[in-house]
Amino acid sequence: MRKTRLLAALLLFLLLTFPLWGSAYFVGRIFTPALFFGIIALSLSLLAGYGGMVSLAQMTLAGLAGYGYGYLTITLGQPWWIGILAGLAVATLAALVFGLIAVRSTGIYFLMITVALGMVVYALANQNRSIFGGHTGILGIRAPELFGHSLVERTIFYYLCLAIGLTTYGFVRYLAGTPFGLALQALRDDPRRLSTLGYNVALHRVAAFTLSGFLAGIGGLLLVWYNGAISPTTIDLTRLINILVIAVIGGLAYAEGAFLGALVFVLVTNFASSFTQRFNTVIGLTFLAIVLFSPEGLSGIALRLWSLLRRTLLARLAPSRHTGL
Amino acid sequence: MSWPQFVTVTLNGLTLAALYFIVAIGFTLIFGVLRVVNLAHGSLYLFGGYFGWSVADRTGSWVLGAVAALFVTSLAGLLLQLGLLRRIHGQELREALVTIGVSIVAADLMLARWGGFTYDFSPPEVITGGLRIPLLDIGYPRYRLFVLAFAIALGLILWFVLARTRLGITVRAAIDDRDMVAAVGIDVQRLFALMFAVGAGLAGLAGVIGGSVLSISSGEDARYLLASLIVVIVGGMGSLPGTAVAAVLVALVEQYSLALFPTYAAIVSFLLMVVVLALRPQGLFGRPA
Repeated sequence: MRKTRLLAALLLFLLLTFPLWGSAYFVGRIFTPALFFGIIALSLSLLAGYGGMVSLAQMTLAGLAGYGYGYLTITLGQPWWIGILAGLAVATLAALVFGLIAVRSTGIYFLMITVALGMVVYALANQNRSIFGGHTGILGIRAPELFGHSLVERTIFYYLCLAIGLTTYGFVRYLAGTPFGLALQALRDDPRRLSTLGYNVALHRVAAFTLSGFLAGIGGLLLVWYNGAISPTTIDLTRLINILVIAVIGGLAYAEGAFLGALVFVLVTNFASSFTQRFNTVIGLTFLAIVLFSPEGLSGIALRLWSLLRRTLLARLAPSRHTGL
Repeated sequence: MSWPQFVTVTLNGLTLAALYFIVAIGFTLIFGVLRVVNLAHGSLYLFGGYFGWSVADRTGSWVLGAVAALFVTSLAGLLLQLGLLRRIHGQELREALVTIGVSIVAADLMLARWGGFTYDFSPPEVITGGLRIPLLDIGYPRYRLFVLAFAIALGLILWFVLARTRLGITVRAAIDDRDMVAAVGIDVQRLFALMFAVGAGLAGLAGVIGGSVLSISSGEDARYLLASLIVVIVGGMGSLPGTAVAAVLVALVEQYSLALFPTYAAIVSFLLMVVVLALRPQGLFGRPA
C-alpha cells in the first residue's frame, strides 16, 4: 500500500508543478480540457461504477449548467456568482427531474431513456430562441474575474480545474465508503435485497442521479468558461456519447478512469487530427477495442499490469530476501 | 388552425408516423428478439440513404437504389451481429456500447465518403407530384401518401408473418422466452442473425424512403435514432402494435405542436414520453420486464 501512496504523491507533485515545466500548449490545451471533461465523466463514473446506472445525459446536464450561467450573465446581465449558482441549480434540478423519470428503469432501458432525454434537450435548445438562443446559442460568455485576473488565464485556469478535479475526485472516493455510497453499491449488485433491508431503492437512485447532475454541472461551468460560448452543438448526440467514451476508455468503474480517459481522449483528438482527418474513427475503434477486449478500461489494464509487476518482483525478490536472512 | 390547415397538419403527422414506423420497427424487432439496443440504428438509416442515393445516381433507378439499400444494410447488420455482437451475447449493456462504438466509426467513415452535402432523391414519377384532395380542395404531395401506404402494407405483411407463419411463431416465442426456444431445438443463433439482418435492412430501406421525403445528409442518423428511441419507449419495447400506435402518437403530437407552438415542440414530445413512463414504465403495449 505504501508504494501506491508514494506513486499518488509523485503524481500529485507532477500535476502541481506542471505549469512550471510543461509546455503552454500541454497545460492549456491538453490537461485543462482533460480535467474538466474528466469531471463530467466522473459524474458518470459515480453513477455507473457505484450505482450501476449508465447514463448518456451527463453532457446534457453539464451543458444545462453552461446555458444557465450564460443566460443569467449574458441575457439577463447578472453578476457571475449568480450565474454560477443558477448554472449549478439548473443542472441539479434537471438531474432530479431526469432521475425521477428514468428511475424505474435499469440497464439498457435506463441508457435508452437518458439518451432520449438528452436528445430532447438538444432539440429544445435548437428550437428555442428566447432562452437557449436557438442554433447560435449564447455567445460572449465570460469567466468570472477576481483581483483583475480572468479565471480562464492559462495557469490560473489550470490550477482552478486541477483543484476542482482533485476535490470532486476526493469526494467521489470518499463517497464510496459512506453509508450512502455503500447503499449505492449494494443497489448496483442486488436492488431487491437492498429493498428487503428497508432501503428506498428509487430514492437512492434519484439522489445519486441528482448528485451526478451537480458534479456534471461543475464540469459544465468550467467547459463554458473555456469555450466562451455555448450552443446546441455542445450537447449534441456526439458530445453525449463522447463522455461515455471517455469514461469507458478510462474504466467505467474507476473514479481515476474518468480523468485518465479524458486525457487519452483529448490527446487522441488533438494529435490524431494532425496525421489523419479520421480521428473519430480512431476514437471509435479504441472504444470498440476496450469494450470488446478489456471492459475494465485503461485503469483495469494498468491495475492488472501493476499487480503482475508486483507479483513478479516479489517472486524474484522473495528468495534473495530469504538468503539474506 | 383553419380546417384545411388542420387536415394538412394531420396528413403530415400521419405520413411522418409512417416513416417513424418503418424506421422504428427494425429497432423493435432487433430489441424484441435479441435484447440488443441497437444505437447504430440511425447510422444504418443514414448508410442506407447514402448508399441508395449513390446506386440510384449511377443507375438512374430509384427502385434499384431502394433495393440496394435494403440489401447492403442487411449485410451490414448481419456482419455487426455475427462479427461483434454474437461473442458478447447476453451482456446487454456491453452490446449497447458496441453499437455506440460502431455508430461513431460509421458516422466518421460516411462523412469521409459522402461529405457534409445534402442529397436529393428523385423517386419514379408515378409516386411524385401533387394530388388534389377532393371536397377539401387542398393539394398534397403524392409521395408522402405513398410512404403512408407503404408503411401500412409493411405493417400488414409483418403482422401476417408474425401471426400466421412458422417463422413468426418462432420469433414471438423468442421474444417471450429465448431460452425455451433454444431448448426445443430451434437454432436461435440463426434466428438472431436473420432478425438483425431484417431489422437493419428495414432501417436502410427507410433511409431511401425517408430521404426521398426531404433529403439525406449527415445528422439525420441522430434524428432517426431519437425518433426510434421515443417510439419504442412510448410503444413498449418489442411490440409490433405498440410501435405502430406510438409512431402515430409521437408523429401527430410532434406535428401539431410544431404547428401550434414551434419553439416548444421538443418539450411536448418530452412530456409525452414522461407521461407514458410515469403511468406505464414498460410502454403502452409492453409487458412488465
